[in-house]
Amino acid sequence: SEMSKDLLPGPYPRTPEERAAAAKKYNMRVEDYEPYPDDGFGYGDYPKLPDKSLHERDPWYQWDQPDMRHNWGEPMHWDFDMYIRNRVDTSPTPVPWHTMRKHFLVFLSTMLIMFGLGEIYPSYRPVGPKQYPFNDLYLEKGGDPNKEPPVVTHYEI
Amino acid sequence: MEPTLLLNASMLITMTTLIVPMLLPLLSQKFKNTPTTITRTIKTAFMISLVPMSLFMYSGMESIISHWEWKFIMNFKIPFSLKMDQYSMMFFPIALFVTWSILQFATWYMASEPYITKFFSYLLMFLIAMLTLTIANNMFLLFIGWEGVGIMSFLLIGWWQGRAEANTAALQAILYNRIGDIGLILSMAWLASHMNSWEIQQNFSTTQTPTLPLLGLILAATGKSAQFGLHPWLPAAMEGPTPVSALLHSSTMVVAGIFLLIRTHPMLTNNQTALSLCLCLGALSTLFAATCALTQNDIKKIIAFSTSSQLGLMMTTIGLNLPQLAFFHISTHAFFKAMLFLCSGSIIHNLNGEQDIRKMGGLQKPLPTTTSCLTIGNLALMGTPFLAGFYSKDLIIENLNTSYLNTWALLLTLLATMFTATYSLRMTLLVQTGYPRTLTISSMNENNPTITSPITRLALGSIMAGLLITSYITPVKTPPMTMPTLTKTAAITITILGIILALELATMTHTLTQPKQNTYLNFSSTLGYFNPLAHRLSSTKLLNNGQKIASHLIDLSWYKKMGPEGLADLQLMATKTSTIIHTGLIKTYLGTFALSILIILSTQTQN
Repeated sequence: SEMSKDLLPGPYPRTPEERAAAAKKYNMRVEDYEPYPDDGFGYGDYPKLPDKSLHERDPWYQWDQPDMRHNWGEPMHWDFDMYIRNRVDTSPTPVPWHTMRKHFLVFLSTMLIMFGLGEIYPSYRPVGPKQYPFNDLYLEKGGDPNKEPPVVTHYEI
Repeated sequence: MEPTLLLNASMLITMTTLIVPMLLPLLSQKFKNTPTTITRTIKTAFMISLVPMSLFMYSGMESIISHWEWKFIMNFKIPFSLKMDQYSMMFFPIALFVTWSILQFATWYMASEPYITKFFSYLLMFLIAMLTLTIANNMFLLFIGWEGVGIMSFLLIGWWQGRAEANTAALQAILYNRIGDIGLILSMAWLASHMNSWEIQQNFSTTQTPTLPLLGLILAATGKSAQFGLHPWLPAAMEGPTPVSALLHSSTMVVAGIFLLIRTHPMLTNNQTALSLCLCLGALSTLFAATCALTQNDIKKIIAFSTSSQLGLMMTTIGLNLPQLAFFHISTHAFFKAMLFLCSGSIIHNLNGEQDIRKMGGLQKPLPTTTSCLTIGNLALMGTPFLAGFYSKDLIIENLNTSYLNTWALLLTLLATMFTATYSLRMTLLVQTGYPRTLTISSMNENNPTITSPITRLALGSIMAGLLITSYITPVKTPPMTMPTLTKTAAITITILGIILALELATMTHTLTQPKQNTYLNFSSTLGYFNPLAHRLSSTKLLNNGQKIASHLIDLSWYKKMGPEGLADLQLMATKTSTIIHTGLIKTYLGTFALSILIILSTQTQN
């Protein structure tokens, strides 16, 4: 059957009594209850829970719903479908975020710069200009047989 | 019998043999598949596919057949054409051989699975999609195969769908492959609009091919073949059962991206930018994957990263404009990589689900065949002379050393080759040798021929395949014949250096005490921080912004601002400015009368 009117979410709580009633409705303590700010976006009195994904909840505790790691009656996050175990993981990383970002960007930029350098100074087998015998084919190219041919030095790679 | 007819008919019979177990249960209620019948089907298909391969090896015959044309638009032809060339005729027997061995192994590995027939049917469907991709002569049929292998990969990685990690991994595979598919569809659209054909034969130009479609193809290969940038799905795909890892994510599916580049290599040949991009991307992938493999502790993840590294090597070969050599490496790699996965599956099952190599050791006496084949597989992977990997890998390194290319790409690939030896030896030492760190009571045995015969068959393949393929297939491009001794022995020297490095590190862990974390260890063991950075940042931003746009922006703007509240705001603004004049004094009203009369007079007297 449908939920009764007092169990459904309502408007933004303005007085402390309304806040207490809303906290009781959502099964939360009055100290923990914090609604979203009233800026016209339609949150009403829904509680603003910390942005922690379900990855951070204890995997070994006997939850009522083990796949959602959620107990019956516990208030769910507004964006709960973002924080399930198939989506965003907000659990703390072993290395802080800024260190991770810095190290990754250092790695990536080093690679890209070195690839750029590698393009400017490529590696290839040693090559040299073509060398012909008989004084660079002096006679075959139509040189004068009576004159002294120019001296040609050849190199060995 | 006429050879062309024999060739075409045997290839088609191979495909038909594979499709039959899919179709027959639909036609009659009495026919039911079992794992044994499916394995037998694949074995039959393998035997039949040896006919076209031997025909090709003997006479070099290739053929293209065209069955039917989808008359969709008048001036754009989409025929159902199949290309039986060197690549597809070689790939069919190899893929079928590997699949046969894996399915035989899976009858033991998945024996306790309630839906084992469905598992085998999924593997068969995957194989059909992969072979369609291989034999396709146009991009349309290739795309059908491409998407097919993607879907089957999703279903198979998430086989144990109750497990949230498996679902996440399957989703990762789909998303990363989709990003690659964007590139493929872009290239297909470009080809359709510029070349007016999706046939492989008609897509070439004598001048330089424009870079845009090639970038699309390279993006497709990056997604499917897990190059750096779109790589995280491959290690995550190890959540699937080991036969899935052995078939899809080592031998067949992940080479689909490289295979695409091999098929379209006439377009790549004359564009040096695309080739350099392939080279650099491949070099970066191979080094990154090898670095990550050094510090992994899960045996399947190590083998997954070694697959990723070898895929980078194949991409590098494409970048050197040597597609035939890349295909050769695909073929030899399929054998030893599938064998490595099967050996790891045997070890995992015998240790009752233990996948951490820190909890394995001294397995040579209880599991002699498995560990020997693991050693053979690792030696083949490292490129030990005259095993299968040597023929392809050594040739690639020789070509790298003697070509005009990016120096850093060369250095990275050599470094990755060294790391390959290191992590392979680390895995071998920790898994097989030393004092056993396993649980004390474990009933380990390999008495079952369904374990030993696939593994030994693949071991035979790992040893012989390289020699056989080199002997019978003539190379298309001239291989480098002369080079200095140092260059010739570069690969083996680097491998030996890697082995020495591994032995040094192994003794270091026993004698010296190291701090738990240092910068490089952290970088390597968390896979370069790529996974948390990319996954958390992009998905949080996308989901948050999507939520904001969908619920807040659209609801707020359309239902409120565009409707009543917006109108009310405009009215309010207008009235606020005009109520200043409503003072109630006659003087103000007389002033407005005078002003309006002046304006009317001035405008009237203008014309």
